[in-house]
Amino acid sequence: MTSKFVKLLAVALTIGVVAAACGSDEEEAPAAAPATTAAAAQVEMVADGSLLDTVQARGTLHCGVSGSAVAFSETQADGSVTGFDADYCRAVAAAVLGDADAVKFTALTASERFTAVQSGDVDVLIRNTTWTQSRDTDVGMDFGPTTYYDGQQLMGRASDGFTANSGAADLEGAVVCTNAGTTTEKNVSEYAKLAGVNITLKTFETSDEYWQGFIDGACDISTTDGSALVGRKVKQQPADEEWVIFPATPISKEPLGPTYGQNDSKWADAVNWTVYATIIADEYGVNQGNVGAGSSYEGELQRLLGGDGELQTTMGLSADAFHQVIKQVGNYSDIYNRNLNPVGLYRDGSANAGWKDGGLIYAPPAR
Amino acid sequence: MNSTNSTSQDLINSDSSTELANNELPPKVAALSPTEWLKANLFSNTFNSILTVLSTAAILLIIRGLLSFIFNPLRQWSATATNMRLLMTQAYPEHQYVRVWVSLGFLLFLTGISLAFWRAGRRVQLSQVGKRLLILGAFIVLATLLAPFSNRATIIWLIVGILIVGIGLLLKPSHEDKTISSLTLLSGAFLLAILSLWVIPYGHHSYLSTRTPKILAESGTVAMTTKLPWTIMFLVAVCSYFLGSFVREKIDEAKSKALLSVTWLISPLFLLFLVLRDPDFDTRHLFSTDVPIFLFFSIVGSVLLLWLTKPDVGEKGRVISAAILFIGFATFLFQMLMIVRILTLVLAFFALAAPTFSGQKPARIRYTKVWIASMVILCWLITAINTPSTAKVPGDFFIGGFAITLMIFFFTMVLAFPLGVLLALARTSKFPIFRMISTTFIEFIRGVPLITILIFFSVMVPLFLPDGMDLTEIAAVTIAFIIFEAAYLAENVRGGLQSVTQGQHEAAEAVGMTNAQKTVFIVLPQALRVAIPPMVGQIIATFKETGLLAIIGIFDFLYIARSVIPGQTQFMGSTRENLLFVSLVYLVICFSMSKASQRVEKRVGLGER
Repeated sequence: MTSKFVKLLAVALTIGVVAAACGSDEEEAPAAAPATTAAAAQVEMVADGSLLDTVQARGTLHCGVSGSAVAFSETQADGSVTGFDADYCRAVAAAVLGDADAVKFTALTASERFTAVQSGDVDVLIRNTTWTQSRDTDVGMDFGPTTYYDGQQLMGRASDGFTANSGAADLEGAVVCTNAGTTTEKNVSEYAKLAGVNITLKTFETSDEYWQGFIDGACDISTTDGSALVGRKVKQQPADEEWVIFPATPISKEPLGPTYGQNDSKWADAVNWTVYATIIADEYGVNQGNVGAGSSYEGELQRLLGGDGELQTTMGLSADAFHQVIKQVGNYSDIYNRNLNPVGLYRDGSANAGWKDGGLIYAPPAR
Repeated sequence: MNSTNSTSQDLINSDSSTELANNELPPKVAALSPTEWLKANLFSNTFNSILTVLSTAAILLIIRGLLSFIFNPLRQWSATATNMRLLMTQAYPEHQYVRVWVSLGFLLFLTGISLAFWRAGRRVQLSQVGKRLLILGAFIVLATLLAPFSNRATIIWLIVGILIVGIGLLLKPSHEDKTISSLTLLSGAFLLAILSLWVIPYGHHSYLSTRTPKILAESGTVAMTTKLPWTIMFLVAVCSYFLGSFVREKIDEAKSKALLSVTWLISPLFLLFLVLRDPDFDTRHLFSTDVPIFLFFSIVGSVLLLWLTKPDVGEKGRVISAAILFIGFATFLFQMLMIVRILTLVLAFFALAAPTFSGQKPARIRYTKVWIASMVILCWLITAINTPSTAKVPGDFFIGGFAITLMIFFFTMVLAFPLGVLLALARTSKFPIFRMISTTFIEFIRGVPLITILIFFSVMVPLFLPDGMDLTEIAAVTIAFIIFEAAYLAENVRGGLQSVTQGQHEAAEAVGMTNAQKTVFIVLPQALRVAIPPMVGQIIATFKETGLLAIIGIFDFLYIARSVIPGQTQFMGSTRENLLFVSLVYLVICFSMSKASQRVEKRVGLGER
């Protein structure tokens, strides 16, 4: 008799749990009337206003990152997220909320990243995403200022006769390896087709897997964004081999930066000017270590860091928003050097040098 | 040779006394001398001899390849060691880790008690243990000679191998009356493993969380935060076993076994949502909303059920039950607290089942008590799930890695099983509408690959939900797993249902059972018994299928090993090491499940009648 009731209890529980699992995530209203008929369900705040107000009301920034991109957004052994993209998430949180740690990172795969923005799961997407025409128009995204100018390059072995001056013509008959389902695949086929050479393209599911293929000799050439090639060369080149990266001018343009849903100017301004603030601070040499209160500076820096004539309050941010960004996260150089120097990427002489040093990193004036 | 030995060994079950077991044993075959054995089994003719030589060579080459891969100095095993926490729980906060250990300790405590109550374990002859040790030792010696070890390592491993061979040789000639419990053997092995944590310098891998992260790999034994909890876990398991054996003589065994079964079913939910998730209850809301709802449903439901279980209620009762079910579904059309919808549905279920449990007053009161107990557990659970967690993690969900693999597997099994049984019953039902719905559902789900269903649920379903309703990705894919596995389990159960002969149905009807009683007490128990082997196969398949979560980008065990760890600057190019570790864990778990199912089959006597 007992076991009969135990079975019944078990079945009842499982049914209840089915229902609970289906409904577990529905927002439950703190209903005032305790009666069962109290049909108050809280619907998510309909955003008539800007995402900026929603984020500030919520108190946390939801930031979409990759979570497994070397130096850009790495998930560390304790589950924390670090990297160049992750630091820009923190910078936006510091500007909007005053606390660089008020970020909830969401790791997104390449295929789900734009849906996540459209469904409101993330407020801003900083997931090494290339700014392209179709994404800007068709997909319905808006792009912020480019934080990293990347470009696809190729890497081969010096022992196979490749040099830094090699070009498309040297690729005849080569086995080229890359990630499956990315634009790198298309770029390299176009590149070979234009030069009229035949290549064999081999694709792998994850980047670590095709690098293994390259190291094991299954591939003659490995191709992806230049930043990743440099990182792999620094970390994985065996002592008895010489890997070379070519051509000097990348075969594609990959401007990477923050991305958000379209037609929300107020939110776009907050994200964009966070990036610009890190660049302007870098131009003046104001960094995480030496930044002072806004009133201790003159002119542009005074306005930017929250002194007299500041413009942040008109944007809906606090006056010292960008002061917090520099203090808590750092200027562009701080962020760049902290994350990208360990994988062998340096600003000097690259496209990511400041515009005064011949690079492309440039910000409009703060006035 | 080996397999026949183990089969005859398994027949000696702890349930039957040794005398009885001896009587059941097949007649003994005279032992062959080693040369005779070799000739009979490996070199019986030219063709077999060639096959033996070739396959031995192939096996040796594979072992050699694997060993030289594993022990190659180029392997970054520190990637796996440093990221062990990430692999197991993803981002669960370190200062709250005691919750993980408490949960694990509670499960081990339950395991110990259950092992004692069900008198698990069997007697193993010492000579058999000796034989196994001999084989193990010989294998270690062989592997050591094949592996590319340094001289020092070779000598150490040779000594270990020869020691094991020696112990094996000592035990082998012992008399067949001398036996040892398999549980003693198992705990001995675990004890050795845990002692090795304190003695052998596995190295101390840790991670310093700063803006510029640092990995520390120091020589020495593993960190105190690893070896101390594991030692306590071992002690908990062993002590609870002895506690169980001590207590079981003094109390009603059937009742406590039933209680243990329910605890097993419920405790993962409580450990997950109350201990690990640590909800931050809002007392005001609790007393203004949840408690009144609970009281309302318990009281109204109790009165209703007490009335419905009266033997003379008749048709009126069914109409009312059906009306509650209708209301239950209707609540989903209106904005309403989820807890109200769920409780209405559960009440409808209890009302519909009431006639089956009708009878005298004590039975009716007991039925009502079960209702109140279900209410307590459900309300607590629903409230806990809807309360924000105090575990602050950077990700989307409070656990990940192996823990989420286990969590989704557990929910899938617990929920897909009853759903599968219902589907199977519907498919064999006399009502054409049930049959049609169920057949369509099962065939549709079985016709679509699991990965398609998973992608559909993780990407598309959130877009279809009405405003104000929100489903996290984890919940969505769990539902996807449940409906997929339920369709397959339903087919397994249907096979079992068909094996129940017509005579059983007729006999049940002859003693005056209702359709529901016939199904629950006569047909299903027999059908499920027959369905055990295919269902276990399905369960193991499900466990392995959780690896598909990696493809849709959920931070499960496989995804962390394959994509996340190789994405760390320090550990680029460590995919293969991590994948090897993951496969080892999957192998150990699937192998144990399959062994356990063999024992269950023996217990219910499948294949022997």
